[in-house]
Formats: sequence, C-alpha cells, structure tokens
Amino acid sequence: MNNKLLYILVLVCALGCKQNKGELFVKRSANDTGITFENTLTETKDLSILDYLYFYNGGGVAIGDINNDSLPDIYFSGNQVKNKLYLNKGNLQFEDITENAGVAGNSSWNTGAIMGDVNGDGLLDIYVCAVVGLNGFNGYNELFINQGDATFKESAADYGLDFESYSSSAAFLDYDLDGDLDIYLLNHAIHTQDSYGNAQIRHKRIYETGDKLLRNDNGTFTDVSEEAGIYGGVNGYGLGIAVSDFNQDGYPDLYIGNDFHEDDYYYLNNGDGTFKESIKEAFGHTTRFSMGSDVADINHDGLPDLISLDMLGKDEIVLKSSEGDDDIQIQKLKTETFGYHNQYTRNMLSVNQPNGKFLETALQSGVAATDWSWSALFGDYNQDGEQDLYISNGIPKRPNDLDYINYISNENIRSKINNTNLVDQKALKMMPSGFIGNMIFKGSNNLQFIDESKTWISQDTIISGATAYSDLDNDGDLDLVTNNLYSPAEIQENTTNNKANWLKIKLNYREKNKFGIGTKVFSYANGIQQFKEMYTVRGFQASSEPLIHFGYGEIYNIDSVKIVWPDKSYQTITNIATNQTLYISPNQNKAFDYSNLHTQKQLLFKKALNNLGIDFIHVEDSYSDYLRQKLIPYQMSDRGPAVSVGDLNADGKDDIFFGGSKYIASQVYVQEDSTFQQITYPEIKMDSIKEDITSIIADFNNDGKNDLIIGTGGADFFNEMKPLTDSYYISSDSVFTKKAFPEMFENTSVLIKLDYDHDNDFDIIVCNQSISADYGNRPNSYLLKNTDGNFNITENPFNQLGMITDAIVTDFNNDGWEDLLFVGEWMSPKFFQNNEGKFTEIHPLENEKLNGLWQSVISFDIDGDGDQDYLLGNWGLNTKFSTSEEHPMKMYYGDLDKNGATETIVSTYKDGKDYPVDGLKELSSQLVSLRKKFNSYSSFAGKSMEDILGENMLPNAEILKVHTLNSGFLKNENGKFTFVPFSYKLQLAPIMSFLEFDFNGDNKTEVLAAGNYFGVKPYHGRFDSFPGALISNNNNITLANKIGLDLIGKSIRNMNIIKFNNNNYILLTFNDEAAEVYQILKP
Amino acid sequence: MKKYACILLAVFLFVNCTEKKQEPIKISPDDLHNSIDHVIDIMIHDIFSPPVASRIFAYPNIAAYEIVAQTNPDYKSLAGQLKDLRPIPAIDTVSGINPQLSALIAHMNISRQLIFSEDKFDVLQDSLFTKWKTMNEPEFEASKAYGLKVAEHIKEWMSKDNYSQTRTMPKFTVDTDDQARWQPTPPAYMDGIEPHWNKIRPFIIDSASQFKPIPPPAFSLEKDSDFYKELIEVYNISNEITKNGDESEEVAIAKFWDCNPYVSVTRGHLMFATKKITPGAHWIGITKIAAKKTNSNFDDTVFAYTKTSMAIADGFISCWDEKYRSNLIRPETLINQHIDENWKPILQTPPFPEYTSGHSVVSGAAATALTSIFGEDFSFEDDTETPYGLPIRKFNSFNEAADEAAISRMYGGIHYRAAVEVGVGQGRKIGALLNSKIEMKKNSSLAHN
Repeated sequence: MNNKLLYILVLVCALGCKQNKGELFVKRSANDTGITFENTLTETKDLSILDYLYFYNGGGVAIGDINNDSLPDIYFSGNQVKNKLYLNKGNLQFEDITENAGVAGNSSWNTGAIMGDVNGDGLLDIYVCAVVGLNGFNGYNELFINQGDATFKESAADYGLDFESYSSSAAFLDYDLDGDLDIYLLNHAIHTQDSYGNAQIRHKRIYETGDKLLRNDNGTFTDVSEEAGIYGGVNGYGLGIAVSDFNQDGYPDLYIGNDFHEDDYYYLNNGDGTFKESIKEAFGHTTRFSMGSDVADINHDGLPDLISLDMLGKDEIVLKSSEGDDDIQIQKLKTETFGYHNQYTRNMLSVNQPNGKFLETALQSGVAATDWSWSALFGDYNQDGEQDLYISNGIPKRPNDLDYINYISNENIRSKINNTNLVDQKALKMMPSGFIGNMIFKGSNNLQFIDESKTWISQDTIISGATAYSDLDNDGDLDLVTNNLYSPAEIQENTTNNKANWLKIKLNYREKNKFGIGTKVFSYANGIQQFKEMYTVRGFQASSEPLIHFGYGEIYNIDSVKIVWPDKSYQTITNIATNQTLYISPNQNKAFDYSNLHTQKQLLFKKALNNLGIDFIHVEDSYSDYLRQKLIPYQMSDRGPAVSVGDLNADGKDDIFFGGSKYIASQVYVQEDSTFQQITYPEIKMDSIKEDITSIIADFNNDGKNDLIIGTGGADFFNEMKPLTDSYYISSDSVFTKKAFPEMFENTSVLIKLDYDHDNDFDIIVCNQSISADYGNRPNSYLLKNTDGNFNITENPFNQLGMITDAIVTDFNNDGWEDLLFVGEWMSPKFFQNNEGKFTEIHPLENEKLNGLWQSVISFDIDGDGDQDYLLGNWGLNTKFSTSEEHPMKMYYGDLDKNGATETIVSTYKDGKDYPVDGLKELSSQLVSLRKKFNSYSSFAGKSMEDILGENMLPNAEILKVHTLNSGFLKNENGKFTFVPFSYKLQLAPIMSFLEFDFNGDNKTEVLAAGNYFGVKPYHGRFDSFPGALISNNNNITLANKIGLDLIGKSIRNMNIIKFNNNNYILLTFNDEAAEVYQILKP
Repeated sequence: MKKYACILLAVFLFVNCTEKKQEPIKISPDDLHNSIDHVIDIMIHDIFSPPVASRIFAYPNIAAYEIVAQTNPDYKSLAGQLKDLRPIPAIDTVSGINPQLSALIAHMNISRQLIFSEDKFDVLQDSLFTKWKTMNEPEFEASKAYGLKVAEHIKEWMSKDNYSQTRTMPKFTVDTDDQARWQPTPPAYMDGIEPHWNKIRPFIIDSASQFKPIPPPAFSLEKDSDFYKELIEVYNISNEITKNGDESEEVAIAKFWDCNPYVSVTRGHLMFATKKITPGAHWIGITKIAAKKTNSNFDDTVFAYTKTSMAIADGFISCWDEKYRSNLIRPETLINQHIDENWKPILQTPPFPEYTSGHSVVSGAAATALTSIFGEDFSFEDDTETPYGLPIRKFNSFNEAADEAAISRMYGGIHYRAAVEVGVGQGRKIGALLNSKIEMKKNSSLAHN
C-alpha cells in the first residue's frame, strides 16, 4: 500500500474508528450489551466459496419477546457456529440463555432464523433453516417450541417441518385465511449457472431446491406447493421473501427474490388456496441477482411498495472493475429464447399502482446502487412520518471482480480447479474484498430517498447480513440488530426517542394467531395516510419484532387508526395521543370492504370497443444499432412509427395512416360508418423498404384533396442509400401517386407544415435527428418551399441544426408570421423567428444552458397567465444518466482513434471528474488501443475521461453536453423564457409525446403527456414506468393510470384525436406494440 | 589512506571499463524461441482470440525473415510475393550490423506492438537489451537501429491489412428465428468473435474464399438426414467416451488439443477463466520442437516459424470466411434443445459458428507447411501443452498430428464430422498453395531430421 494512503487510513481510524455514534443510531458494543455472538466462518479445503456458492450469505436474526415480559429478546443463527438466544433484561442488557433454553441447534450449516407462534399458544417459537445434503452438511430445519419457561423443545419432526433441503429462510402467513399460520419455505438452487436452460424448468419440482408452501393442518404442516401453484424447480435461487397483500384484496401475496437468471416470482393469492405467478404482468423489470427485500407503503396511498436488492456498486472503482449487466444480445437470448423476464443488476424500488402494476423508481429515488446488499428494512427511523430505509452490506471476497475473472484467477487456478475442485488460499486471497459500510436513507413524500449513511449511522466496514428491527429499549423508536460475518453481532440504538412523535401498536388477535400476522393498520393524521401490515419476516433471513410502528414528526394527535384483521373484520379508533403503545384486540364484527380501497377518481378514458376496428400492430425490425455503433447512448432505429390522422378519401371523415418499419408495409385505415377498415394504396405500400418515422396529411397542391408526405429514418441504411429519402404522394381520383421530392439522406424525425412565406400553400420543414452510422454528428434540417405543389430547397436556414426530435409552429411574437421552436438531443431548445418569410434564430431563454435530451414539445398555457408557455419532454430522472448545469453530462464525439469511423463516449460527473458511462470492455470493443493502455480492469477503474482518451485522442473529440434531464416547461414572461422542472411524477421516464385537448370537459384544454423508452442497453435497464399524466396546470397533474389510461410498459410514439360517430377518441401508437384506442368520456 | 584507496578504486574502475572487451553478439535460435514463448505467455494473459493470435505470430516472423533473407543467400525475400509487401530497407553491410540481432529485435518490436501488456514484454526486452549493450554497444546499437527500421517498414505494411477497420465493423447479429443459425453458447454466451476476419488481407491465398469448402450437410432435424446423423454422432461419441472416463484415449485427445484461450468457469457468483494457448500457438510450439530436434540454426528457425505462421494465419482467414458464411449452429445448442437438455460437451464450445473447424483448418495448413520443411515422416514428442497440465503426446508425422487435432473436435463435442474432415482438407489446400506459390528456401532440400 502506498504510504500516504496508509497515513490517511491511520488518521481516519484515529478520528473515526472509535466513533460509534451517528446522529440517529449509536452502536452498543458487546461489552455494553453482553451480546458476544459472532458468525465466524471457517474455511477448509473442502468448504469455501468455491464449493458452496452461498458460503458468505451469513446467518439469521429473529427478534421477539419469548418470555412475555414486554422486552424483545434476540435469537441469532450462525452458519457454522452455534446459535444463540439472548434474553433482554432491559436497558439494552442481554443474557445468553442458549444453554438452558436448548436452542443452540444441531445442523451443520444454519441460515435464516424466524420467530412465530407455530402452535398458537401465544408464545413465540423459533424456526431455524439449514442447508442439508450439500458439502457434507447434515441436520434439518429445526423448530424450537417455546415451553413458556424460557426453555424450548425441538419439535420439527412432530410438525412436519424437519426438512433436509437447501433452505435460506421461511415466512409465516395465513394464506388460506383459516386462522392459523402457514409457512412458505424458501429454498435455494445450486443448479449450474453455466447454462440458463429454458425458464420452464421451474415447473419440475425438486425436493432440495424447490420452495414449499406448507399448510397448517391442525398443528402439522402439509406441503401444498403443487396444488397451490408454487414453483419448485431446480433453478430457484431463493434469497428474498416478502409477504404482503400487494393487491389489497384481503389475501396475502408473496414476492420471492431469486438470484441469477431465474425470474423473481410474484404470487398473487387467488383466494381459493391457489396462487397465480404474475411477475411479467405486474413488473416491467426486476432485480437480477435478487437478494433481500422489504415491503412498506412509501407514498401514503395505502398500497404496499417493494424494494428488492441487488449488488450494483456505487463506487466508481468497484463499478468499473466488476462484472456488470449482460450484453444486449445475451439479454435478448434470455428473454426471447429462454423465456426469462427483464432483469437488471441494481436495486429495484417498485411502487404499487391501483391497476395492479408497479412503477420502478430506484434510480430516481436514489437507492439503485448500494453495492453488495443483503437486507433492506423500511422503517420510520427518524419518526417524521416517512418511511426510511436501512440496507446491510458487504462481502468478504468480490467474486465478480473482472481482473480476478480474467487474469488473476487463471494464473493461480490453471488446471487445478478441474482436478481437485479447490482453489488454494492464495488464489482466494487475491480476490478483492468488499468490506463496505451499511447504508441508511431518509425517506420523503416524493419518492426521494436521501443517503444519510454518513450522518445517521457510524460508518464501518463490517459485513452485515440479516437485520431486524425492534424497540429493544421500549423508548418508542426502532432499534436495529445485525448479524455480521467475522465480527460480533451489533445493536444500533435509535436515539430519536421523543424528539419526534410515535405510536406503537401491539396486536392481540384470535387463537392460533395471537400476534395478528396479516393484520393491516391504516393511520390518518393531518390528512396523511400511513399504512402498515403485520408481517415479521422482512429483509433477509430474519424476522423483526411483531410490532406496528408509526412516526408522526410534530403531530401530537392522530385522527384515527383503522385496524383490519386477517378475517376482514375491522375497527376504528379515533383521537389517539402519540408516544404510547396501544394493545389492540378485535372487538367488532363489521366486515371491511376491500373494494373501497380500489375506488378510482372519475375515469376520463375507456378502452374503445374493438379498438374501432383498428388492428394495427407496429413491428420494429430486428436491427440493433449497438451491433454497428457499439458506444452510442441509445438507439436511433426505433423512433417510429409515423402516424397521421386526416381525410384521405375525401369523404369528410378522419382516416389514419400508420407507417411501417424497415421492409414492413405501411397501413391505411379509412373510417366507415361503424368501424375503421384497412385499405391498400398500392403506390404507398410499394415503398415498404423505407422506415416511416413521421408523416403529414394535408392538401399540398391546393386541389382540394389531401396528400401525404412521409419522413423516413431507421438509422440502418446509410450514406446516400435511396431508402433514406422521404416520400411525397399526391391524391388523384382515388389513388395516390408518387411525386418528386428533394432527396435528403438524414434520419428524419418530424415534418412540420406552415405557410412561412404567406403565399397560401403549405411549406414543409423536414427535421432530422441523426445521420446513420455517424451518431453525434449534427444533421441538417431543411426548409422546403412549396411552389404549385412542388417542393424545393431554395435557401436553408437550418443547416447543422442539431439532433432534432420535435418541433412546433408557434407565433411567439404574435406578428401573424408563424415562428418555430425546435427541440432535440444534446442541444438547447432553438427559437427561430419568422421575419416576413425569413427565419432568424433568436435567444429568448433566460438561461442558455438548457441542453437536454429533449424528446417532445407543445405550447400550452400551463400557469394560466394568458400567454403561451412551452412544455418540454426530456429524458427524465429515473436513469443512470446524471447531469447538472455546473457539471454537464458530456458526449465525446469524433473519429477518436483515426480509423475512419466516428464514435461517441458518454461521460457523467462524479466527485470532481468526468467518468465514462461504459466500462473498459465496451470502450475497447470500439477503441482497441485502450486495451494496450489499460491492460487490467483495475488500471482502468477510476480513470477519468481525460486519463482515458489522453492527449492522443482527446483533441479528436468534439464535446456535446446535456445540462438537464428534467422534463419541464418554459415559462413565458413577456417573451422571455425561464425553465421550470416538472414534479417528480413526470420524471419517471422519457416523455415522448404531448397532446392538448379538453379531456375532462371543463371547457379548458389539458395536456396529456406520455412516454417510456426501451432502446437502451441492459446497463440502463428499461424506461417502462411512466403511466402517462394529465397536466391541467402546474399544480394539478394526475397520473394517467388513475383516470383510465394504462401506459405503463409501453413506449409511446404518437397520440392523436380521432372523431368517430360524434365521439372523440384518442389513438395511442406505440413502438413495437399494437395501437390502442380509448374513448374520451367527458361529461 | 582512505583517500588513496578511493583514487585507486576509481582508477581500477576506469581501466576496467575502458578495457572491457567488445565481444561479438551471438544470437542463438534459443533466443528466438525464448522470445516467442514469452510472447505466447503474454498472449494467454491478454486473452487474444485464435484469429487475432495468428496475426500476432505472422508479422514479427516475416520481419525477421526479411532481414535473414537480406544476408542469407539460401533464402528469398517475400517482397513481391506477399500482397503489397515491398522490399525492406537494404542492410548496410559495412556498419557492423549483426543481421540476426536485427532480425530478433525487429521480431520483438513488432510483437510488442501487437500484444497488450507491454510491461510484461519489457521485462524480457530490457534484460536482453542491457545484456547486448554490455557485450558490444556499437554492434547492438547498429543492429537495433536497422532492426527497428525494418520493423517500421513491416508495421507500415501491416497497418494496411484492414485489422483496425475491422475493429469497428458491426458485431455479429444473432438470428434467433432460424434454428439452423449459430447462437451463443453456454456458459458465457459470448458474441460471435471476429465476424469480419475474412476482410483481413491474407498472406498467400488470393482471397478469403479461394478455398471455399463445400457447404455442410443441409440442416435438418429429420432422423434420416445427413445432418441429423452427424448431430447424433457427436452426441453418441461424447456419451460413449465419457462413459469410459477421463482416462480414455479419446478424452485425452480432446483435452490435449483443446487450445481454448478462454474457458469460462462459473461457480455461483464466483467466475474465472482457465486459459490456454490457441491452436495457432500450439502449432508454433510444434515448429519449435521440430526446429530444436533438427538443430536448426537461427536463420532456418526463422524460416520455419515464418512459413508455418503464414499457413496458420491464412488458415484462420479462410476458415472464418466459411464460418460466417454457413453460420451453422453448434452441436451443444441443438443437443440441448432437441435431444438432452443436460448434455455438455467435453470441451467448452468456443464462441463462433461451427463450420468448418478452425483447429482442423489450421492444423491441416500448418502440418503441410511443416512437412515441406522437415519432411514426411518426422516423428516428434509434443510437449507443448505440459504447462497446462496436459501430457506429452507422440506423433510419427505432422499430418498424423493434424488428423488427430481435427478429430479431437468431434471427441470434444464441439464439431460435427463434416467440419472436421472438410476443414483439415481446406487447410491442406492452403498449405499446398503456400508450398507451391511462395518461394522462400532457394535450395529446397529438407532440414535434417
């Protein structure tokens, strides 16, 4: 180690290591508490990470009051060391009573530990999972039945719970609502990760690895997995389990997190003893290496939200030296050939929606990357009324280190591994360690989580796994207990105490389920709802104290608390003082009506019957930009289809033109009396080789009949290939004939019509987004003057205008001559003023540093002050991209290595430097010389763009910038414009399209915003979480899934209003999806 | 007294330095062998795919050979014989240049450019340079200057072989809709490597497709089709020899010729690679064995390496041309899909289409070249793979070794019979063209066995 670094470390230690105090949590050492349990692993030549893939997953922790003295006691399970039970003596003093209690356990490898009242006697029993039948591990899952005198009797066999399988954890739930507690046993696979195999192998049940649903039949447990529809295959790497009534129908559902390529399972309880696995229907994407998880209502809507953990590094060096997401082709192979769901390597925060789907917001929420994470526990740790989040972290050895995989391991392993099945200690030692601190995030009311790890808790580098919360000292706040590897278990005392108000609820439910597992509690205070469910198994391999805890900040009085018991009876308690513990038993027979939780606001949209006969399905051709331009930040080839609504057959009714992608013909639907009918115009259909991105229907030759112009793109054809040229068809009689049009070879994004020269015909502006195989170059857009229906470029004010994505005609100076506003990627909105037929760029932005990845624009008076503001759709904040005005995201563009082809490298700013988004593997696939400059991943990790490109390549780069990723609006203040970002709800994904209409019949127009985009590499995931939103004004924004439109998981390209039989409909056209029609139901 | 001692010591040192004898630098064939071995070690570390590795062997050898051909009347320059290669700068015979030293330095210089880990290369180069400089600085400097000049000349030629352009050409597009087409294979599911290798300028053949092989049997899953029979043959052979265990001759043959530079191993979150030399490097190793066995001198050794490495390089160009033309699916994919989902080949399937077998083609090409140099019945003990824990195998001729290398791919479960049999023939045609078209040794008597 470098000496300087050593000094710094020593200094940091001297100042910090003794400091066990964070602002919120104080660590209590073994000396203070008497808790000396330490989960120490002993590696042998037959047992290490090589022999057992979950060697480092750690033990469990369960908290509950085993002797009913109101002091929660703690049970730790150890992998190889004996389990321990500590009796809480008050004041955070604990006594080891393992010996007398008889709970040390006999299995050779223990995993999760949970407490629950298995036999319904009101006493908490302990269930300890074990891995048996691998690596010589013996034993079985042990059930310690509480005898009521602080002793336990191991009785697993009597209850039918003595499984000899590969268990990681288990959870209690009453899935059939028969009043007793059933068990879901979580097992893990050891199946090879060498080959994925078809996803269907999950249907073939394997005893050792398959999860099990165990029904409690009067005290013995029956495996009902098969009949209940629970998967139990050889490939279920079950590590995470969360129980919750996700769909609020009264029946508990399950979320099972599976490691590696196996999908997570989302089991919705059918209420008849069976479950329906629904991950693909409800979740757009999930964690890939799924670890622990937790559930809580983080946004006060009464629906449980979910976090599932993964292992994405947050530190730049870890990030660049670790194996990351799949290559895009492998990802496709997994999803399209093998049948797996979209999975990405980062934490996922899935926010539950009323229509049964989830929005995933981890990137926007700030909790996507917490490194090698095990347990997530939501809790209102600072008692401000918002759910905070604690995440335990660390791995002794990072087996996904790229240098280890590619370089170091070989020299130490060579053929040995195959012959002796063992790597010597030397090889293991060369694997970098991952001793990283735990993290804590402060919750808020806008889905934001603020990292408070450096303030709320003391930082250490201990490896913590299983974690549980409990009010150990009965002072009203939630304390935390972690089971650590190679280091004593820890108690973190919460010192919030009475600085903020709280309420604890302990339930006393009916016989067989005294602790009220499955009970729901709604709290209402100051108009804010909070919602909690009584499930103790949370986080990872652990169970927390059976306790409902709420924080209230400054509020002293709670308006009401509603308790909904598992049998659906409920009671309401009103006017409750904070800072007390309520003990509640059922006292009402009123049945709770779950449908009340699902009443929606007034619906504005309804799916049109039969889609009005419009059965257009857009099919994107299979071209992938990344095969040719390996480093571009997103695709250019998926920006279609074109859609235009207009009267094509001169019958006065709206018809529809849908463009096709490459080699796929466009389609025309004409409106008849009762339906739309597809018809063919041969001349148009013949041009199917072209990819139609945008189109426009209007009478261009002033003959009284509408003509059609199609803008072509697709980014596949290149140079001056004919399929890149745009098309112009004029209608004559009942056919369309092709007409000459200026040849332009850029990828077109938008066509604009206007009469810029006031000669009473429509002129055209062809806006272009990119040049094929040369992404980063600024294409020309063109002004086409109309002379008697013929278009010509006379002079062009729009050379090198930029990567235009959208443009509108708007007379912003109100002089009767239509002006233009262009938006695009890596550029600021551009205003062109029409001075009686001459365009000049003007600069009315108060701040010119407004480069974005702009996707869409519309004019709308959003602040209701009578002038036109401009709404701008941008990339959004739910992304790995990041930027700021001071430290913009950059794109280095040019022929960096002078081999005749241009490339782009995108960088974002972190701690004083610009770092590439891509890693060495990706960059060197385009710039081979980087492999010579950096012959190991560690030599590359942590290098800035300047270091990487160096003086050889840096001068070859033009640098493009993005200052903001926020969608927002340009507020018009007397012709000057200031940018105002939208609220967080409109930042969930790129906004691709706006549509203005009076949707709610209030005689004022609103704007519907829609988006989502999937043309990115697996590293970026999938922007599928924006349901669309109705913008009435800046303070009144409603997500569209609350008013009848469901746009989650679909990537919109166009929205059009269609008039049909005196009703208004909205036509939604998506990329690579079927078009949808909704009726606008305005009163 | 101390002062005098110091002066004495200084005088002694001075005298010692100035009077040091300038011995002539002798370059032995082992110097070249050692350097190539060192480059091979670095190539293993850096992980070069087999086609790219073949290019790393060829150009340094040609540079060395061209210098040898300047001064050794037995050898004829390749300039004018290889596409676009112009004569290297003439050697100045009066300036004290040691041509063999120049040849070795040129060889090292180009090798260093072609590998990634220069730091590892410099360990050897620095120590050699220091040694030579100490032995005879003027001779070293003169030879080095000429060697580098030639290296520049060859590098200029090398830079126009389309290698850098192919780096940014499109990645291979996997066609998952057509079940006959190649798909990435377990466990790493890597992209198809070097889909544009047929655009690399060849050395001997006039185009990548000059020896375009007959197409593979038409894809069919009908039980009585030729294709299916070949598929099931791979499966049956594999099962049979697996049953006989690791000790069986066929398993030994498969493992001996594995020559996979990157075998990915996954154990849970733990991943690593076991890395070996490439097929080309194996045949370079056999060249070394033959050269040593015949006590070939430096010039003859350079010749042997050069000729063999050109055969190997063109073998890859020709083979890769066919691979991405027929784009045929690997047995592992089909067997897992249609016959046995748990079947694994004995060797890990390498990441490119099946037809023809690369190892078969280059083995055929290299063996033909080596036979022309060292003779038909040249027996040898092949210890090339001993550093990777594999045994020595004995062969009675290069062709016998080539045939075994070819069939090993079937035993390994990664190729059908057609790819192996057609492949080795494809390689032999390239070797035969090399022997007939390219004139290198003027007095073409065989080296002594």
